[in-house]
Amino acid sequence: MNRIEEHPILGKKEERQEVTFTFDGRELKGFEGEPIAIALKANGVLIHRYTKKEHKPRGIFCAIGRCTDCVMVVDGKPNIRTCVTPLKAGMVVKTQNGVEV
Amino acid sequence: MERYEVIIVGAGPSGLSAAIEAAKRGLKVIVFDENDKPGGQLFKQIHKFFGSKEHHAKIRGFRIGEQLLEEAAEAGVEVQLGATVIGLYSDKEVNVRIGDSIRHYKGDTVIVATGAAENMVTFPGWTLPGVIGAGAAQTMMNIHGIRPGKKVLMLGSGNVGLVVSFQLLQAGCEVVALVDAAPRIGGYGVHAAKVARCGVPFYLSHTITKAHGEDHVTGVTISEVDSHFTPIEGTEKTFEVDTICMAVGLSPMSQLLKMAGCEMEDNPKRGGQVPIIDDFGETSVSGIFAAGDVSGIEEASSAMIEGRMAGVCVSEYLGYLSEEEKEAELKKLEGDLDSLRQGMFAPKNRGKLIEKTDEGIDVSMNLLQKGYVSDDEIERFPGVVHRKGVHPVIECTQNIPCNPCQDACPKKCISTGDNITFLPFIKDDCECSNCGMCVASCSGQAIFLVDEDCGDGTATITLPYEFLPLPQVGDTGYGLSRSGEKLCEAEVVLVRSLKAFDHTNLLTMRVPKEYAMKARFFTKD
Repeated sequence: MNRIEEHPILGKKEERQEVTFTFDGRELKGFEGEPIAIALKANGVLIHRYTKKEHKPRGIFCAIGRCTDCVMVVDGKPNIRTCVTPLKAGMVVKTQNGVEV
Repeated sequence: MERYEVIIVGAGPSGLSAAIEAAKRGLKVIVFDENDKPGGQLFKQIHKFFGSKEHHAKIRGFRIGEQLLEEAAEAGVEVQLGATVIGLYSDKEVNVRIGDSIRHYKGDTVIVATGAAENMVTFPGWTLPGVIGAGAAQTMMNIHGIRPGKKVLMLGSGNVGLVVSFQLLQAGCEVVALVDAAPRIGGYGVHAAKVARCGVPFYLSHTITKAHGEDHVTGVTISEVDSHFTPIEGTEKTFEVDTICMAVGLSPMSQLLKMAGCEMEDNPKRGGQVPIIDDFGETSVSGIFAAGDVSGIEEASSAMIEGRMAGVCVSEYLGYLSEEEKEAELKKLEGDLDSLRQGMFAPKNRGKLIEKTDEGIDVSMNLLQKGYVSDDEIERFPGVVHRKGVHPVIECTQNIPCNPCQDACPKKCISTGDNITFLPFIKDDCECSNCGMCVASCSGQAIFLVDEDCGDGTATITLPYEFLPLPQVGDTGYGLSRSGEKLCEAEVVLVRSLKAFDHTNLLTMRVPKEYAMKARFFTKD
């Protein structure tokens, strides 16, 4: 588990609401409001998309919505920056191939 | 089209500071920020800041962020979040995307405080999942509470690389190596030293030649480089890692200023494309100002002062301050900014090898190359003294603008002299009460309380400790050297965690007395 339970400076994270979402059809759990990318990372998902021309894997790079490496198909919409998009219950998240759905 | 007297782009340290100065004088101000929370990168900074009281020294970055937000709320600053500024024109028209709509605003003045973006370097495999920016690592750990990986290699030994390496250790990650193509460590020696004493090896004059893995990072190979930064064959070293972190500098995000027609220049000392500005941030377009990293890469403390300067200037520009009032405000702020830009790491010294301190002492070359001051070098620094009984040992060996230690000591034992960048020394008539305030106040974690001879063949060393689990009294383990090597057996005899120490625990260990000036960290196993 890569979540930090207690941090020496920041202490414990406040209680958060656990929600269920799907990733490529698999049911996963995450915390409501955290970035989708973080919930995926907590579940060990590293690959967010494959590039159009060479089909190379991409994952989180900047984590602040700048680089767009982490875009995925979320609720049917492609190119969603998962590192800055908050997770909601029931979201349908899919690995993106190329630049479209 | 909505009109504001001041439109500020970016709600980071400099944008918020500018907004506070303008709003508290009654100007109608709006701040746009594309994120869903204000504060920029300040909330990711969990270390204690350097400087003096005026610069919020010894306060952790995220607390400074909280204070700034409170001050902004009191001043009545309006912050529009989730708002991406996509256009800025010379007549100070601003286009903003909010949700799915584009809105138009007009400012009587505009302050651009968009900050900077991380640089990257490329190598085979650099696009693999698991190769991340150091900023990403900070965001994951300190905002979202998740470890970027189990085993991490850090590329870049500037302050960001050093600080984030320490944060990775604090989050419970293993940092297998800290690598930089430069022959010398770029950031503060004290930041390097606290990473080195945890046992992280430094590889200067090395670069990454390959990231391994098919779907994600499984390893990394580094090579030594020659003076032209070309990898030398046969020097490859491979590490098993799941994460490669890049801290290879920042570039100003100055596109909006360019779009507005501000005169720009390519200035490597400022980090790239920057607007040409006057001493207080005004660009070549009257009424458009730039503040913070967008006008030259520095750090949050100076960005906040630059923001305040711009806020003062727009207040005068629009008639809310007289010219004399402006001059008086700016004079004070200029003084604060000047004191931050002193010392070995001042912008004017970027890239220079400084071999002697202001006091004329030879700088530790070991510190610059390996991250720690060697045993034979440490004695020459003024904070390293030998006294009877418990006394501070200050391993502060570079001239940096920082002085909380001298205010921290209730007995006034510590002084940095007349200049904020001078190396601290211990006064001759020092009567140390062993209170530990100096240890906890040192942003560089470079102060230790040492009793070199307890009379029974042992010595005690009190050190700053910011990790979990916190060792308990009676725990036994090892005293580690400044390079993180196991030196001797050690027993924890005292653990202090006062509120005034602000999460810097003070751990006192007992070691054989010959290690009094050598052991600087504790590990249980």
